[in-house]
Amino acid sequence: MNNLALKELLYKMADDQLILGHRNSEWTGFGPLLEEDIAFSSMAQDKVGQSLALYTLLQTLGESDPDTIAFTRNASRFHNCILVELPNQEYDFSLIRHFLFDTAEALRFEALTNSAYEPLAQLARKIRGELRYHTLHANTWMKQLGSATEESITRLQKSLEAAFPYALGIFETSPYEAELIDQKIFAGEAALKEKWLARIESVIHQTQLQLPDWKTLTPVYGGREGKHSEHLQPLLDEMSEVFRIDPTAEW
Amino acid sequence: MYGGGNTFEGIKTDSLSQEDPVKLAAFEARIARGEKIEPTDWMPQLYRKQLIRMIEQHAHSEIIGALPEGTWITRAPGFKRKMALMAKVQDEVGHAQLLYSAAETLGKSREQMIDDLINGKSKYSNVFNYPTFTWADCCFISWLVDAGAIVNQLANAKGSYGPYCRALERICAEESFHLKYGHHCVIYLASGTAKQRQMFQEALNRWWPPMMHFFGPSDKISAHTEVLMRWKVKMGTNDEMRNQFLDMYVPKIWELGFTIPDPNLKKNTETGKWEYTEPDWEEFKRVINGNGPCNKERLEVRRVAEARGRWVREALKSPKAAYVTPLA
Amino acid sequence: MNSLDPRVSRLPQIQEPVSLKAPLDQFGTFEVFVQPKEGKPFQHEGIVHAPDIELAWVLAKETFTRRFTCTSLYVADTRDVYVSPLTEGESNAYDPIPETRESGIKKTYEIYHLAKRGRQHVHAGTVQAATPQHAMTEAKLQFNTGKTVYNVWAIANDAIRFTTPEEKELWLTLSEKKFRDASDYKGGDKLKEFLERKLIS
Repeated sequence: MNNLALKELLYKMADDQLILGHRNSEWTGFGPLLEEDIAFSSMAQDKVGQSLALYTLLQTLGESDPDTIAFTRNASRFHNCILVELPNQEYDFSLIRHFLFDTAEALRFEALTNSAYEPLAQLARKIRGELRYHTLHANTWMKQLGSATEESITRLQKSLEAAFPYALGIFETSPYEAELIDQKIFAGEAALKEKWLARIESVIHQTQLQLPDWKTLTPVYGGREGKHSEHLQPLLDEMSEVFRIDPTAEW
Repeated sequence: MYGGGNTFEGIKTDSLSQEDPVKLAAFEARIARGEKIEPTDWMPQLYRKQLIRMIEQHAHSEIIGALPEGTWITRAPGFKRKMALMAKVQDEVGHAQLLYSAAETLGKSREQMIDDLINGKSKYSNVFNYPTFTWADCCFISWLVDAGAIVNQLANAKGSYGPYCRALERICAEESFHLKYGHHCVIYLASGTAKQRQMFQEALNRWWPPMMHFFGPSDKISAHTEVLMRWKVKMGTNDEMRNQFLDMYVPKIWELGFTIPDPNLKKNTETGKWEYTEPDWEEFKRVINGNGPCNKERLEVRRVAEARGRWVREALKSPKAAYVTPLA
Repeated sequence: MNSLDPRVSRLPQIQEPVSLKAPLDQFGTFEVFVQPKEGKPFQHEGIVHAPDIELAWVLAKETFTRRFTCTSLYVADTRDVYVSPLTEGESNAYDPIPETRESGIKKTYEIYHLAKRGRQHVHAGTVQAATPQHAMTEAKLQFNTGKTVYNVWAIANDAIRFTTPEEKELWLTLSEKKFRDASDYKGGDKLKEFLERKLIS
């Protein structure tokens, strides 16, 4: 098994989950409805928990411990897609991102339930209930707000268009695509993207929203190789503010 | 997280003479028997009013209480702390949800309660009007403010109003995690580096006065609450609650080698009561009346959150909906 | 806003004047029922505010079942719960319910009992009935053991959003979320080690 390929896969998945979990946790206490505040926080906790599980797998492959990996790297060493590091903006954008990302995330883990790398397959099987909830939550809100008032439809449409090029960036290919596919570790970004488009489209079709013409859009790539927007480093600085007071201390 | 405080100031019992004496006697007898009151039961107006006021203040204290600790959600050091703090602050929002629901069964809608909070008509626990400067302040709240709240809430869970008791039982069960988590954080600071110890000592120095205020004005100066005690709305006096807290937690703080910034603090071995420098009740009043370091920010954050979420709520308002009082 | 909280500092400025909330700004309410363990009865846990029954179910899941064990959950609009008068002392809520027969198409109703004031309403069973009133009668025939019940609820099955069999997996990892559990924060050893160090120095 090619460890470099596997590590690259695990890093980008873990970083995605951590950064989006962190972003979504910023809503805690500021949500549009108490009940939704609670639900959104739970999903953020799930994401951070999933990132921890993935970093723990990396540790078994010889990487540092999860806290060191998560709290001491600089932006250029993070492999998350740029979509997840963008600021939350208003709830329409956060919901659209949640819908676009979590659909991809659920499909990715679904594909990984058959991974030849058994620890990852086990994790994917274990968290399927969490992911089912995330997509159920996202789809329910999309269907409702996407067919409600002129304001809600306009807001979601605008955010959908703004987020879409970044969402395509989720599927930026790795240098190791062929190995991952050959070794049956992961079915690859291209296959994932195809399934994702079909799933996204089927939900959008149940609303009054228009799917952006994705073929004419330029995907925003770079995140997977450490080239990020200006938003990631400040996020990391904030996240590690206390940890860095003394990285050798136990908190 | 809630500690009593100013809730029952200035109640007038005159209205009781206008209640049906037969019903009032039956109501009081039921409470004396230890039976709970449920939403559809007859109850004196004063009971309803004071309960709404108390439960609503408690709910506001939870949603506002999510803010000072929420400050540290994005900065919690390490996975264990990060996930715990996210879950803990989420619980505080959840407690607000439960408590608003309990208050609703008495006939005040959640819309009215949130309006009264944002417009400054309702109070909430004073302790949340202070800032959390460092991670250690956040740990102080998680451990000791929650501990104080649990003392108060365990007492109130034995009160007479069914929906409030049920909410409190759930809240106390959830808060056992908060308390253990908070203590865990402080043990790590105490046994850590000199810098970590210093951080907590400084936080303790800042938070001790608001912590003493947390249980409300001294019995010597607080309003007459005999009828509320009889009706099991209020389950212990402010001083009793404060004493119980000191009894349980001062030894634990000292055990960790920290100094409590009150040279007069000691347990009187004869009376079994704690003695301490009288808290500054003028400061307490000043803060509760809106002039604390964070009052403005706290309410502004709630106002902005409500305003930003309005389009979501307006979009989904159903023409078929009609509000009815929830059941239990 | 200039705040110590970086999240607050990032909040947008909103200049609109403070206005009072419109009625139903927080939506209507739905009653939430939870089954804590397989084989245990469902019990009433509280309410959620939600725009419709589907979102009520989605939101109830995290509001009421994120902390303690759960195998299933359902919700019903508060208006769809038919409620008997509440009794006290020795008087049984079933006593005043008339034993009437009704014809017509029957549907299933879930019946809940309040066995003790101050406790939660607990599922007693299901009955087939033509109307909610009839469901009360049927419940009286089937579930009234003579032991005092203080309140009876009847909810038509078709007014409930149940958990589907596939959705049972939503709670798969609940027991593993130890970070929400007091048992995950045992500081005893650390404390002991610290106290021993303190003693020596």
